[in-house]
Amino acid sequence: MLAFRRWLTEMMHIAGRELGLLFCDSGVLIFCLAVPLGYPLLYAYIYTTELMREVPVTVVDDCKTALSREFVRKLDATQWVKVIAVSEDVPAALQQIKEQQSYGYFVIPTDFSQRIVTGQQAFIGMYADMSGMLYYKGMLVGATDVSLDMNEHIKIARSGLSTVREEQLVSYPVRNREVSLFNPQQGFAVFLIPAVLILIIQQTLLLGIGMAGGTAAERGSYRQWLLRERPQPGLFCLLMGRSAAYLLLYAVISAYMLCLVPRFFGLVQIARALDLLLFMIPYLLSCIFLAFTLAILMRNREMSILVFVFTSLPLLFISGISWPGSALPGFWKGVSYLFPSTFGINGFVRMNNMGASLHQVATEYMALWLQTIVYSFTAWLSFRRLRKYEMRTE
Amino acid sequence: MRKPYDSIGCLRAVFMRELRRMCSRPIYFFCVVVAPLFSLFFFTSLLDEGLPHRLPVGVVDLDGSAQSRQVVRTLDVMDQVEVCRVYKNYADARDAMQRGEIYAFLMIPSNFANDLQGFRQPVLTYYVSYTYYVAGSLTYSSLRKLTELVSGAALRSSLSAKGVGEEQMMAQLQPIVIEAHALHNPSLNYAIYLNNTIVPGVMMLLISLMTVYAVGSEVKFNTARSWLEMSNHSILLALFSKLLPYTLAFMVIALFADYYMYGVLQYPCEGGLWPTVILTLFMVLSAQALGLLFFAAVPVLRMALSLCSLWGVVSFSICGFSFPQPAMEAPVRALSWLFPLRHYYLIYVSQTLDGNSPLYSFTNYAVLLVFMLLPLLLLVRLKRALIHTDYIP
Repeated sequence: MLAFRRWLTEMMHIAGRELGLLFCDSGVLIFCLAVPLGYPLLYAYIYTTELMREVPVTVVDDCKTALSREFVRKLDATQWVKVIAVSEDVPAALQQIKEQQSYGYFVIPTDFSQRIVTGQQAFIGMYADMSGMLYYKGMLVGATDVSLDMNEHIKIARSGLSTVREEQLVSYPVRNREVSLFNPQQGFAVFLIPAVLILIIQQTLLLGIGMAGGTAAERGSYRQWLLRERPQPGLFCLLMGRSAAYLLLYAVISAYMLCLVPRFFGLVQIARALDLLLFMIPYLLSCIFLAFTLAILMRNREMSILVFVFTSLPLLFISGISWPGSALPGFWKGVSYLFPSTFGINGFVRMNNMGASLHQVATEYMALWLQTIVYSFTAWLSFRRLRKYEMRTE
Repeated sequence: MRKPYDSIGCLRAVFMRELRRMCSRPIYFFCVVVAPLFSLFFFTSLLDEGLPHRLPVGVVDLDGSAQSRQVVRTLDVMDQVEVCRVYKNYADARDAMQRGEIYAFLMIPSNFANDLQGFRQPVLTYYVSYTYYVAGSLTYSSLRKLTELVSGAALRSSLSAKGVGEEQMMAQLQPIVIEAHALHNPSLNYAIYLNNTIVPGVMMLLISLMTVYAVGSEVKFNTARSWLEMSNHSILLALFSKLLPYTLAFMVIALFADYYMYGVLQYPCEGGLWPTVILTLFMVLSAQALGLLFFAAVPVLRMALSLCSLWGVVSFSICGFSFPQPAMEAPVRALSWLFPLRHYYLIYVSQTLDGNSPLYSFTNYAVLLVFMLLPLLLLVRLKRALIHTDYIP
């Protein structure tokens, strides 16, 4: 008992000293404080409008009848599309795209009204510029809504049935209803920001701890961390103490990023507080231990920036958020399991956005604990290697 | 000894010196060769399918009739989705969704078959989670298609009973048809749409980081003065000959990436060879210039590197290839001009994807050119910093 207390005091002492070092190093502070505080705000602000509304398009109306003009009018009235001009012909419509005035055009053929009146199928061509998927999506949703609306009236007028009831049946033998769960307005920020927040936690820990490791390596001495104390603290005690410092700092930062930032921007936030707290412990720990493990590879202070920053985008893609996890090639799926962010993002997003409970994200939760154990061992190994190296050079 | 003012000699000396530096540490090799090639192969292989197939969805079949099973089978044979399970009730399906097993589910009401035959308009409900945006959008369009098919099949059987012909039947089902065409990317291939901006974006991030590191390490390792001496104290010559190896190396890598994407993977390249090469050159040079600009403005290595990282990572969002720039708030739209990747993306779309003349991208080329010239304004400041500043950790 007494030994444990002594151990605990020593660990607390190491944690305190680590925090002290941390707050004296402005380079590490940028990553462990400034970026987590400021970056989420900037990022959420970029996506704060959530939706692409009113995609500017032109219409080539070769038909020029009441029915074709009705289509154009209704198209313009949808929230998805804005008809900026009625173009003379297709080359004129293409010219508008070239000049970046519009992102697509519709072609209503000459026989459009005639075909409808004579009971044939009529076609409207939609041509979307593929510089962004959301332009295409907006145009398609807008045009489909209008065509469904007009179809209903045309069908009823055409069928010549006697009762209202019968008319309805001709239009819709089966009705359908779409319920979009968990992100009702289909917003972009609601989908992307929670994932980015979790990723920022891992990346800034890798960068910050990597930078601290690189700095120590560069000054030719790990003594600052490892050898100043006499008698020497146990490696395990050292690991726990240093991790505790980062855990403490990131407990505060996580609370800010995961509770306050979504509130500022009115994002979905339906996780249970206790579940979230329990989930974040292994996430933070596995990130910290992974960072300590990789920090041994950093030969100088700035190296962590060169190595870790560009990995953010690949990590976001293999987490299964922006690209569906079920469509990931097996090899990359395997690689994604190495990083806490994969499980952290999936677990957090499902808890925060979809109201999943901790036992519904049990797979991710267990995986994070497994990573915590494995990476704490590898971190311990890398500490041991540093100490051996240090002993030899002394 | 070299003769004074022998510019070519200076250039060669500094160039060779830089090559030696590049070989001295593995980090150079990592940033110039490994990381860009990794990104290229990572993203191209990740998005290899173009469009995701067989996304897992669920069905809640409260009816259990022959007709409802027919609906499930119809859904299952659709290319983009796969019915991975049939659930007993809504709660089970919702639970599966929260567990991340399915992206969407279809609910077939009880008495579906009876209502369909008795013309009582049964309602098919589909629940889609847009928490996973791409998966949500794709499963939604499959489910919407499914209800059209089911509707059509039902109507078809009642109309053919009345003796209506096939062509009339189609007109009855859907009088107005929207025929959607995606210009220059007809199959909605996500690889074409994403890779052409992401891969150059990652490269630009690495190029500007590397530029800052190359110049900043002179201060860090206290070699700046000898470097300037070697180039006759001309900061222009010093920078030119120092950064030339990086320009060449990154050009080779970037042109290989072009060759791989447009040549091997056959992504559309309507702009022709030379405009593409010139665009690639602008990409490399503007990224180098951005790095140089940051280091000249803030001659502290880690600060300049941090700025480059911030710029590089934010540019993926702000350039507007995933979430369109016109939909952003006005201050963000204005800010987007300051990111070279935004201009690269606009030129790529106009010139390479749509095959327009480079003249249509004149403004964007001009802005990139301004980026390249900006560091010249700060050369004096940079030189002073190189001579007088000590490394600030």
